[in-house]
Amino acid sequence: MASLPDKEAGANSADRIFADVTTVAVIGAGVVGRSVARQLAASGAVDRLILGSRRPERLRGFVRQLIGVDVEVIAPGPLPSVDVTVLAQPTGGHAELADEALGNGSHVVSVSDSIKDVEALLDLDAAAIKADRSIIIGASFSPGLSCLLARHAGLRFERVEEVHVARMGTGGPACQRQLHRARTKEAIDWRDGNWRKHPGGTGRELVWFPDPLGARDCYRAALPDALLLSRNFPDVDRITAKVAATRRDRFTAWLPMLRSPHNDGGPGAIRIEVRGMRDGIQATDVIGAIDYPSAVAGAIAAIATEWSLLGALPSGSWNLGMLDDPVPWLLELEERGIKAAVYEGISTS
Amino acid sequence: MAEVVMRVLRRALLAASVGAAVAAVLRLRGSGGVPPRQGSWRQLSGPDFR
Repeated sequence: MASLPDKEAGANSADRIFADVTTVAVIGAGVVGRSVARQLAASGAVDRLILGSRRPERLRGFVRQLIGVDVEVIAPGPLPSVDVTVLAQPTGGHAELADEALGNGSHVVSVSDSIKDVEALLDLDAAAIKADRSIIIGASFSPGLSCLLARHAGLRFERVEEVHVARMGTGGPACQRQLHRARTKEAIDWRDGNWRKHPGGTGRELVWFPDPLGARDCYRAALPDALLLSRNFPDVDRITAKVAATRRDRFTAWLPMLRSPHNDGGPGAIRIEVRGMRDGIQATDVIGAIDYPSAVAGAIAAIATEWSLLGALPSGSWNLGMLDDPVPWLLELEERGIKAAVYEGISTS
Repeated sequence: MAEVVMRVLRRALLAASVGAAVAAVLRLRGSGGVPPRQGSWRQLSGPDFR
């Protein structure tokens, strides 16, 4: 998939930007939605922002913080006709909204980390290509940055055999509720060309995340990373995705959430282990990142939106792990203060 | 005789319950420790990506 964002495209589309009013709708005004809105307002690439919220009256204070952009707040209802629609609401129903947005001629950026949403969004590929619009799936921390790093690490191998993703931390309250549900749902692993289902909460593994978070026990859960990465690494033997959990998390996973979620579930981390053949020998690379998941999700969704406005992204339904070249994304993230790290110290015998 | 047996049983049951409760608290709160490791994380910057 050709996907190198062409900065020159900005010059070509500048006339369009000044001539037309570029409008972006951010549906969902939680922690991630607000982060996206802030970054878009600061980017100067957007003239008009439409914020969709279940409780528009609660956004008055936030709207006053967005300077240099016209802001309109809307309640749930038909999607507005805009250039890009960012779906930052809780999981569930992202594909239906994406389909509606495509019908309005809009690009779509979804931050959902639900397997059901991701599967349904991937099914919209043909419709998105026909409409010449892009649907960017899982533009968040994990999936999102995790797929980007896996893709980048995978390019250093002649043949990738295994990809293992682990994450810890969450975004806002909706993200924490989704993870709470995912802990008890069926997990999917890619193994020798087939999907294997395992109960959530199994498969304990001690994972070393970037410092200072360090080592955490990680377990299977209903995470979409393997589903997305299998599209980019169809020949690998194994793809797994796990999430960190404390004993209390596991003990209470089958219960309703016993207390209100935190306003922000960060800091978080991701760690991707890629195994394969390099220069004829077996090698293992470990790459990761540490940051607030909500901030990373906001940055990735904002970059995807800005580059969609520039017309620099391919049409179709895709994820950051399917990019031909992830480096421009990683460099842009670095400019925004989100840095990756590599683990050095593993033998490559 | 029956009273003595019942009293012993009750006390044993109480002791086992208290022990189980304490073990559960320790199990849920404890971290279990981590093994040592070799190596470290190095932050990537622009030139590393090229």
